[in-house]
Parts: sequence; C-alpha cells; structure tokens
Amino acid sequence: MLEIKNLHVAIDGKEILKGIDLSLPDGQVHAIMGPNGSGKSTLSYVLAGRDGYTVTQGSVTLKGKDILSLSPDQRAAQGVFLAMQYPVEIPGVTTMSFLKTALNALRKARGQNPLDALQILKLLREKAKALDLSQELLSRAVNVGFSGGEKKRNEVLQMAVLEPSLCLLDETDSGLDIDALRVVANGVNALRAPSRSMLVITHYQRLLDYIKPDVVHVLAYGKIRQSGGPELAKELEKTGYAAFAREDA
Amino acid sequence: MTLAAFKNRASQNQEAWRYTNLDTLLSPAALDAEPFPHGPHACPFKTCLVFLNGIFEPSMSRFGSVPSCLLMGDRDSGYSLTLGEQTCLVAHPVELVFASDSKAPDEIPLKFSISLGKNARLSLLENHRASAVPVSVETSVTLAPHAKFVHGKIVSGGPHLALYTVHAAEGSFYTNTSLLRRTRPARNEFSVHLDGQGAQVSLNGIMFLNGHDHADTTAHVLHNAPHCTSRQSYKSVLDESARGVFQGRITVAPHAQKTDGYQISRALLLSDKAEMDSKPELEIYADDVSCRHGNSVGDLDPDALFYLRSRGLDEKAARDLLIQGFLADALDSLPVEAWGSSFRHELGLEPL
Repeated sequence: MLEIKNLHVAIDGKEILKGIDLSLPDGQVHAIMGPNGSGKSTLSYVLAGRDGYTVTQGSVTLKGKDILSLSPDQRAAQGVFLAMQYPVEIPGVTTMSFLKTALNALRKARGQNPLDALQILKLLREKAKALDLSQELLSRAVNVGFSGGEKKRNEVLQMAVLEPSLCLLDETDSGLDIDALRVVANGVNALRAPSRSMLVITHYQRLLDYIKPDVVHVLAYGKIRQSGGPELAKELEKTGYAAFAREDA
Repeated sequence: MTLAAFKNRASQNQEAWRYTNLDTLLSPAALDAEPFPHGPHACPFKTCLVFLNGIFEPSMSRFGSVPSCLLMGDRDSGYSLTLGEQTCLVAHPVELVFASDSKAPDEIPLKFSISLGKNARLSLLENHRASAVPVSVETSVTLAPHAKFVHGKIVSGGPHLALYTVHAAEGSFYTNTSLLRRTRPARNEFSVHLDGQGAQVSLNGIMFLNGHDHADTTAHVLHNAPHCTSRQSYKSVLDESARGVFQGRITVAPHAQKTDGYQISRALLLSDKAEMDSKPELEIYADDVSCRHGNSVGDLDPDALFYLRSRGLDEKAARDLLIQGFLADALDSLPVEAWGSSFRHELGLEPL
C-alpha cells in the first residue's frame, strides 16, 4: 500500500525527518510512537500534502504511484485520509454540506456518479449512529462548538464516509476520556479491511490497547529507531523514550 | 438626484467621500473601460414592478394581489409608494426591478418616496439589474409609529449611486439588506433618523467584488430619541483589485438615553491587491448608552483550506466553500425567506 523510502523533510530549512523508511502492506495497521518533537505530526502532514514542508530527499508511493507531486485533494482522490490531531473549525459550513461536497468531489475523481442529498443524508445518519454522534451535530457548522471527543469522532465519521485506502490517524487519542476513546477505537476498528491500511500515530500506548497494530515503529529525532510487534508498545510504556537518545548527541 | 448632484454633494463633504472619488470612478474613460451588458428584467415574484430606463412599465409588471394604487407618480416628479394605516403587505413581498436597454439615456436618475402609515408593514426588494449607464437613486422613507419596513436591495452591476434617508417614528422598524456586485462603482448610503422613542434600525449587507469593482457603503444612524436600537452589520468579500469601503457612523443626541448601538464590518481579502477601508465613527452626547463597534479584515484560513483539500475538495471548491461559510450567517438571516434564492443566485452560490 504505502512505501516510504529515505524520506527527508525540512521546515524552513531545518531538517525534521532525517531518512524515514517504512513499508505498510495492504490491510495492515502500523503504529508510530515517539516522544514529542520527534517528527510524528510532520510525517502525517507530509503524507497528506500540507504546504510548508520541503521534501529534500526520498520517495513516497501509494499503491505503486508517487504521491509527493500531488496536491492534497489529488492525494485524497488516491485514497489518502488524515484524521487530524486538531480538527479545524469551519464556521458557516454544516458538517452535512461539507461531507456532501467532499464525498461527491471524491466520487467524481474516482469516476463514480454523485450521490443526491437524500442518499447522503441516509449514509451520514447511519455512520453517525454507529459512532454515537448525534444527528443534530450533522446540521451544525463543522467542528464549531464541538467537544474534543466530538471533534475526534467527527474525524472518524469522515473517514467512514469517504472510505479511504490509507488512513493516517494523528494523535486521535489526545484529549479523549476512556469512554470516548473506546467509541473512537471501535469506529476505527470497524473500518479495518484487507484493502485498507492504517498508520496510527500516538504518543501513548493506551490507544493501542484498543486498536491492535501489526507493527509498532519508534520514531525519534527524525528517524525510525526501532520496529517490532505490539509488545514493543508495552515495553515503551515501561521504559519511556529515554533509550532513544539523540543519535547525533 | 442626478449624477451631477451627487458629485456636487461629494465635493461639499470631502471627508465623507474620501475613499470614493466620483470624478475618477465615473470619468468617461472609467465608464467606457468595460461597459456592462444590460441585464434581463424577468422577475420571479408575484408582485413585480418593472422600471425600464427609469420609467415604470405597467405592461411588464404584475401587481398580483397588491392594489395598483400602491405606486404613483412618474419619472420626472418621482415615484411614491404609500401604505395607509394598518396596511400589511408582508405576505406579498414586492419586487421592484430596474432594468435598462440600448435606449437608455446617458444616466438614469430615480426618485422615490416611500411612506408607511401607523402599524403598516411592507417587504420590498429593489433589484437593480446590471446597467451600462450610471443609475442614481434618491429615496426618502417615512415610517409612522410602529410601522415596519423590510427593505432588500440587489445591485448586479454597473455604476450605481444611492442615498436613502429614513425617518423612523416611535416604535417603528426599518431594516435593509443590500447585496452589491460588479459595481463600477457603487455608493450605497443611508441616513437613518431614529426620531421616536423605541425605534429600531438594522442595516446589513454583502459586498462581493472582484476585478476593479469599487463599492462604498456609508451608513449614518442618528439616535434622536431614547430607547432606540441600531445595528449595522456588513460583510465584504474582495478579490483581485476590488476595493470595499465601509463608513459606519452612530450619532447619539444628548437626550437619547438608553441608546443601544452596534456596528460591525468584516472583510475577506482574497488577493494581495484587494483593499478594504473601514471607518467606524461614534459621536455620543448622551451618558447612559451602549455603543460598540467591531471591524476585521483577513484572508482565508490556510488551516481550513488544507483541511477541506485533504478531504478531496480542489482549491477552487475549498475556497468557494469557505467563502460561502463566511457569508452564511448573513444569508441565513435574510428577513424574507423568498429573497434567499435571489441573493444566492446573484452570488453564484448553490443552496446549502
């Protein structure tokens, strides 16, 4: 699904990612853990195509195709979805009309017919129910006045509706209490599929109790320093990230 | 008022016209630079009065269930709309369509006098289709106690100068919502006198401009009596080299205690060359009042743009959706629901 090779990324001339190699096969869930400032969010933004990040070396391919040259919307059309750590508020635009516009834009890019308002309403209601999101939220402006938990569930709702093939979850657990975490994790787990891969970025092991990864990578100081099975996450919970001292220190 | 009279007015009060120079904006070169095609005069409303080249055309108009004596007068002496006491036309919004064609004179001066008797109610939409020649509007509005006038206005393009002078008696209510588009230039000016206790005014508008459009909204609310309320709320979306002007002024007379005044102007600049000039002015001579003003100028939020694009919207769709979101509260709060489609159509927006 996703192949990252020797990826170097700089922001304002400062190198943040210093050669990432990662291979995420179809249907697998990989976790990326690491201390604050290790470059976890940078990696998710670079994969989604945000401005301001300069790729100085390396390549990223999705299903064999280069995505670094694509705009964020072109990447979305190819199946990339980033569930953001801080979902953005969009005043004046209802969640309903936002998702209708987004879904039909993606369907168009994928050569599918657009859905009408009624079909979309039905789909959204069904998906929102599964995430324990009230329907009233759908007619409110995107993320405006949403609680932290509602924002994160709204991200998962969008993921469920837009059906990406690569899900990037950036600190989806941050700001969630244990009940909300369970709902969000259940929502994510329901989307696991042989044709869909996930990269779960988190600071804490807690989320991985609910979303079981196939592989755990430790990202520190811009590089993947260790990879292993789910047991690696447990170990990190005990030992912390101190072992991954600055390579150049 | 003719164009010359407007220019004369401007020359006598340069401060009030500092951002809108009629000599430059209405010079023959500016007018010839990009003349507008004349717009159509079709109208979706049941009650629709059409003025072609400044002259009322009964054959193109429909009065619906409104008596034809509502409109009197002629072009030279001015037209008048008079509603007697207790008359209510809210259920039948009236639309005035102003269109021009190739037989238009060099300029179209329009003069209106609108008068509502005690407790009368009127909803009226002025729809100025694109005009190749300057249109000037001089309207005086007189509201008797507890009358309510819900006034809308759409300018679809061309040179346009307007002055509305409103006198509101005790407990009466005046509201105007104006949409200015493709104006080269426009001056939409209000002078609202809240003369009776408890009178209310709400002035709202959208300036949606691009190219070399220039639109100036100047609103002066005079609180001449106690317990009056005024609201001014304007939103501007300016692209390319467009220029928007908002001058909002609130004057509170010494005896106008318990005045509640508020004005806000918010602008979205979509290009480095676009310009917004905002000038709020509060002149307060009473001591027990609440008067506030606010002003913001910004561009589209890059985080929001990225968020939408990461969900599959291309750059244009993402920008359009954010612009639509910026204008949403103005469009959602239109006082006459039926105006929504006219406003959205003029803005090129799909219904949400």
